[in-house]
Amino acid sequence: MKPRAVHLLIVALLVLALADHGAAQTRSSEHSVPAFAPVPSDPIRLGVIGKMIAAAAEGDTIEVPAGVYREHLRIDRPVTLVAQGNAVLDGGGSGDIVEISAPRVALRGFTIRNTGIDLDKENAAVRVLAPRATIEDNTLEDVLFGIDLREAPDSVVRGNRIGGKNLDIARRGDGLRLWRSDRTLIEGNTIHDGRDAIIWYSTGVTVRHNRAHECRYGLHLMFSDDVTISHNEFSRNSVGVYLMYSARIELTQNQLTGNRGPSGYGIGLKEADQFAIRENLIAGNRAGVYIDGSPFTDKKPGEFTRNTLAYNDIGVTFLPSARGNELTDNNFIDNINQVSVAGRGALDANRFWKGERGNFWSDYTGYDQNRDGVGDFMHESQTLFDNIMDRQPALRLFLFSPAQHAIEFVGRAIPAVRPEAKFTDEVPLMAPVPIAFTAASGREGARTLLLAGSGGGLLAVGSAILALARGTQRVRGRAIDMRVNSTGGST
Amino acid sequence: MTSVPLPLTMIVSHDPPGAIRNIATIAHRELRDAVSSRWFILYTLAFAVLGLAVSLVSASVTGSTGISGFGRTSAGLVNIVLLVVPLMALTAGAASIASDRERGMLSYVFAQPVSRLEVLLGKYVGLGASLLACLCLGLGACALILVWKGVATRPASIVWLAGLSFALALGMLSLGMLISTLARKASVAVGTAIFVWLTLVFVSDLALMTGAVALRLRIEELLAFSLINPLQVFKMWSLHAADASLDVLGPAGLYASEEYGQRLHLIFGSLLLTWVVFPLAAAAAVLSRRSPL
Repeated sequence: MKPRAVHLLIVALLVLALADHGAAQTRSSEHSVPAFAPVPSDPIRLGVIGKMIAAAAEGDTIEVPAGVYREHLRIDRPVTLVAQGNAVLDGGGSGDIVEISAPRVALRGFTIRNTGIDLDKENAAVRVLAPRATIEDNTLEDVLFGIDLREAPDSVVRGNRIGGKNLDIARRGDGLRLWRSDRTLIEGNTIHDGRDAIIWYSTGVTVRHNRAHECRYGLHLMFSDDVTISHNEFSRNSVGVYLMYSARIELTQNQLTGNRGPSGYGIGLKEADQFAIRENLIAGNRAGVYIDGSPFTDKKPGEFTRNTLAYNDIGVTFLPSARGNELTDNNFIDNINQVSVAGRGALDANRFWKGERGNFWSDYTGYDQNRDGVGDFMHESQTLFDNIMDRQPALRLFLFSPAQHAIEFVGRAIPAVRPEAKFTDEVPLMAPVPIAFTAASGREGARTLLLAGSGGGLLAVGSAILALARGTQRVRGRAIDMRVNSTGGST
Repeated sequence: MTSVPLPLTMIVSHDPPGAIRNIATIAHRELRDAVSSRWFILYTLAFAVLGLAVSLVSASVTGSTGISGFGRTSAGLVNIVLLVVPLMALTAGAASIASDRERGMLSYVFAQPVSRLEVLLGKYVGLGASLLACLCLGLGACALILVWKGVATRPASIVWLAGLSFALALGMLSLGMLISTLARKASVAVGTAIFVWLTLVFVSDLALMTGAVALRLRIEELLAFSLINPLQVFKMWSLHAADASLDVLGPAGLYASEEYGQRLHLIFGSLLLTWVVFPLAAAAAVLSRRSPL
């Protein structure tokens, strides 16, 4: 063995090990949830804030000094509570923590933690029972329900960080819940480890710039009309946004990624109506969009424009009942099934192009001779294996195997078994529609370096072995004389 | 064909350092022959060119968007490994002993002061190293192409893919060498190897698909049957390593993920190890009993 070759091999292995290690670190830090520093050494004060509220007049601002308060607050007059420094309200693991029963109350900058875990009583960190509340910049941790608005219209929930209890999903509460709270603004909150952020029977709500991860439903609309949802990030939930029985919904420029599980959808639509879904990035979900009985009426077609659906197991999945949707100018990039119909059924009642605008399909095989940006042949989705998977989901097990390609080849080559086109796009786009915003995480540079390192390491290992092979053989001790063998050396 | 059963103690050398030295010598010899042979150059080129083509095609679509996932790149690379690597390893293994036997080389080598097990292991190590070189060169080139095209892929996934491909290659090499010890002629051995390859790559999957629909197999049965095929084990393992969840493979994959979770690494690993160890052990047993002619 040539010493130089051995050294080369060792260096290569080291590079590979480092690359893998670095990647693992990148991965773990992405998923970690920052821990909040507890204040265990402070003396616990009882009933202090309650007395301050009792002494306050309507419209007063109460400044609460830093410290840990073991209190269950009832705010029964229109006051503003502001935390000075790190003021912690600790529920001691029982009941609700803050209950607001007067209108125009503001609660700012507190850390609120440790509610009870009684699902029947719906233990909440902050419960609002009156209109025009402002809940702002609070940190909620270890809570069953986070912020619970009951008949609290015209409220503002902004900049809060809501962390649920580390319980089984069935035993968790909702990080955020609105019940008959019209025109509420929900902005810039982060919710994790909750059940749902859910909006019940509330009209005219605005939801923007929020993040939800590791929940069941990132955002769940029930019977809530005229809701605007924009610039939110819903990742690694079971479902990103679920719109149920709601009308006149605008869903714009949201990022829905990695929502997985048995019923993992980026966006779910159940009997939703008059909705517009525009410029969202929907990537890496089990199903990007799931459409069940939507749009519910024929007042307006379901609108899907300029969305990017990429790397989902299924791009858009239609239940046979879905009709009247129009998909134009969307990017369908490398979804394993671009479009599927659950069970049998056709997509005749839905359109994948309108006028001169179709969609971009990464699996489009045509060309554009006249260079007008639109493919010269229509895009027909008709892969045999897709159809088989739609009907026999268990056979997805054979995805990515050569057998899958064999089946698809047979489907293309033999007209007798060629499946009917699931849908057609008469004017497929040749280039992706620009994405409205970038999803780059800032780690791309490091990743590229690591990938280059991995590639270089692999090449080095390969070359090291070649060098080893070509190196002269050192004859030691009673090594066999192989010279004779070389006359019949393999060719 | 005489059958004089040799006791195992006679196969294994009494001097372990000597045995290792013998194996290393034979392995080195085998490696040198392998990397200068036509099949090695051909397969390395084929593997690299196919891999690069897949990387370039997928980069042309996804490079502009800046989003990543287990998309066409990874799926394409897995597919190429599934097609090329078993063929490469099976034929390399099949040609090894049978061609020596055909040329009368085997009886010459067996007349040397080395045991038959040493010869087998030496050949195995040498061929395994040559396969590793081929995989590393091909996948390393693909990684650099992806970097050049700005495709966001997790670096770990390409290292995983290389490692798992090597494990698959070792299993297939083992099977190839078993075929080689059983066959009398190199041509028969290579033919058999190609038949086995065809079975593993296409026939068994298609048969299982048909069977699953016709017999209404439950998903756990489907999963168990599919895991008999080392290629499916490799495929599921590389998905599991890349994405941590097999739910992309539908109900059966979801069942595997939920039921076994991180133990899947252990399960897939031991299944592939079985494919490495058992055919090789069988080959050793056959070789020790058969006349080198």
